[in-house]
Amino acid sequence: MGNSEKLRADQLQIIRSGKEVLSGISFCVDSGEVYALLGGNGAGKSTTLLSFLGFLPPSGGSIYIKGVEVRSNIKAARRAIAYLPESASLYEHLDAYENLRYFLQLAEMPFDKHRIEATLDRVLLASDSRTQRLQNYSKGMRQKVAIALAILRDTEILLLDEPTSGLDPSAIDEFHNLVRDLADSGKTVLMVTHDVYGACQVADRLGLLRAGKLVGEFTAPAGQRIETEAVHRAFSSRHAK
Amino acid sequence: MNTALIIASEEWRYWLRSSLAISVVALFTIILIAVSLLTSLRISEEDTERSHHQSEAEQSFLSQPDRHPHRMVHYGHYILRTSPPLALFDPGLDSVTGQSMFLEGHRQNSATFSSLGASADLGGLSWLTPAMIYQVFAPLLIVLLGHSAIVREREAKSLAPLLAQGVSGFQIVAGKTAALLLFVLFLLIPLLVSAALSLPKGEDILTVVSLLIVYFLYLSVWVILTLSVTTMLQKRPAIIAVLAALWLTLTLVLPSIAVNVASRLAPVSGKIETELAMLTEVRNVSDGHNVNESDLEQLRSSLFEEYGVNRVEDLDVNIRGIVSQRAEEKLTESMNIFADRRMEGEVRQAKVVMKHGWASPMLAIAFASRALSATDLEHYHHFLRQAETLRYDFVQGLNEVHSEQLSYADDINRNLSEASYNRTRIDAENWGLLDEFRFETTTSTKRLKSAGLPIMMLITWMIGLFAILVWASTRLKP
Ligand SMILES: Nc1ncnc2c1ncn2[C@@H]1O[C@H](COP(=O)(O)OP(=O)(O)OP(=O)(O)O)[C@@H](O)[C@H]1O
Ligand SMILES: [Mg+2]
Repeated sequence: MGNSEKLRADQLQIIRSGKEVLSGISFCVDSGEVYALLGGNGAGKSTTLLSFLGFLPPSGGSIYIKGVEVRSNIKAARRAIAYLPESASLYEHLDAYENLRYFLQLAEMPFDKHRIEATLDRVLLASDSRTQRLQNYSKGMRQKVAIALAILRDTEILLLDEPTSGLDPSAIDEFHNLVRDLADSGKTVLMVTHDVYGACQVADRLGLLRAGKLVGEFTAPAGQRIETEAVHRAFSSRHAK
Repeated sequence: MNTALIIASEEWRYWLRSSLAISVVALFTIILIAVSLLTSLRISEEDTERSHHQSEAEQSFLSQPDRHPHRMVHYGHYILRTSPPLALFDPGLDSVTGQSMFLEGHRQNSATFSSLGASADLGGLSWLTPAMIYQVFAPLLIVLLGHSAIVREREAKSLAPLLAQGVSGFQIVAGKTAALLLFVLFLLIPLLVSAALSLPKGEDILTVVSLLIVYFLYLSVWVILTLSVTTMLQKRPAIIAVLAALWLTLTLVLPSIAVNVASRLAPVSGKIETELAMLTEVRNVSDGHNVNESDLEQLRSSLFEEYGVNRVEDLDVNIRGIVSQRAEEKLTESMNIFADRRMEGEVRQAKVVMKHGWASPMLAIAFASRALSATDLEHYHHFLRQAETLRYDFVQGLNEVHSEQLSYADDINRNLSEASYNRTRIDAENWGLLDEFRFETTTSTKRLKSAGLPIMMLITWMIGLFAILVWASTRLKP
């Protein structure tokens, strides 16, 4: 598996504003794999993603992208990653196309109208709203455009911070199918969520994060899904402690 | 580079879609155009009047009847200075120094405000000039537009995905800088127009181009300053507070401190004080009519030798004219010492103010702009010297006429009878010795040279801030 390993955290320790937010977590994600990071508010999920992007230098341990220490070549690491932030991150004064065109241009990606239409169809963004500015969008509609952007980046690795937040049930289902398809086509997905059921549906492996520590890992048996019940139990019992 | 340009054009699209940005720029443009129009209207009206009065004064001197030449020395002459072409943009010191002067024998009068200037005064708004708008208000506009360039993205959380895509902080800041610099070029269009309009009025292309470059430099300093602050600080209120404080300090507080410091460090003695000192000293030298006994003796013997005579009555020239000439010469010499001293004092004071340009780019641009527009202290002194030359020439011309065309005998007997008095009137044609007065500025190279130090200051500001901006941009955090 060593060669296909895309993401790796090794005894990762992060301190933010003097507070230890991640205390030595270790895990790795291989290509073609969906890894779900599950945890309560403030557990350190978003922090984990930010440290993979090189925004937060580790105070201890190390982070590797495709086997290379992130901070030794931040730019290369970032080019290999599509990142979906946890909150609104696109421009309000632009419509969906303009937003996608701008960010894709900056990522030095060609603007392929057909791919864009197809992707927006895939995330179920209504076609009549695509030429409207994002200031007139609902939360879920914005999220759909942001997801579309992450997919259009066509990178090896996707870091998704609560991707389904704000989405309606049918959009969530469709999104899970989409993530599976991406993984099956060889992409590596690290996804942060609160949603136990959704995580179990889509993830190959699942890490339970609590107060900056990785307190449990679940792996889907070959050809099956992770058992929701077990995760749920672990999640709530650990929380109750 | 390409990335920076994409970011720059996106910044422009944001501005064009933001009603605040558009209305602020529109307001600025309207004010600028209104002030430019009013200023050029005021100055050209004043200039028309001044040239009119100038030719009237010349006419009136020339049309004096036959007279004793010394009466013409006291009749005197009035000169008015018209504005250099770029004064329409930057009237500089012209609005606080006098533009007209009465020239007569034995005295150096100071420049005064011609009463006609007041006719076109726009209710006390004449301090608000196009140059002032560029120096004080354009920076405010840059701050308004630029302060949020980075923090806006941080607030909208778009900074994280940008950086996460591999766009560097330097590229983002470079893009914002390019956008604002292009905006500065747009801001300079009205200046370009008014500077270009000065070309047919005789302004040099070198000056016009330098003026544009200097203002571009100045406004670029503000662009880089604004972006440095918005890049270094995380929160919008802090950014706004710091930029507002900087604007107030650099454009309003420091310039007035500089003036205060200068009047302490390099005081120019009050006008009345100097005038009294001068009168006492100068009167010891000569009153402009007579010279002291020993000088007279010397003058007389050299003339006797030259003409081979030994009585004043036998000289071919009228010794009274010669004496007047010598008296005016000596008097002027000592008046010039005072005038020079005064001007040197003013220059020293101006230099102290100018040094503060190292601390306030607004002072640097003010000096550079006035120097290039020919409305600085140097040009005011230039005017005083030009006026003095004209005064001295016509007085001495009249004294020469006095010595050559009026016999000594007639001259001393002029009070015997009306007939003898009339014999001392010389032909009015001689009044034609008066030269026309047309204020002339120094050459464009000279002006550029005197703008040299302030330009150096602006370049230093630019380089220093640029280094800070680059440093800050590589540390940009979402
Ligand atoms: N900008 C910040 N500066 C300092 N500390 C922070 C910052 N952001 C988060 N933290 C701290 O880091 C810890 C982990 O935050 P993080 O955002 O990673 O949590 P999370 O697991 O993503 O939570 P949520 O489910 O609410 O998104 C929190 O305790 C929080 O106090
Ligand atoms: Mg989070």
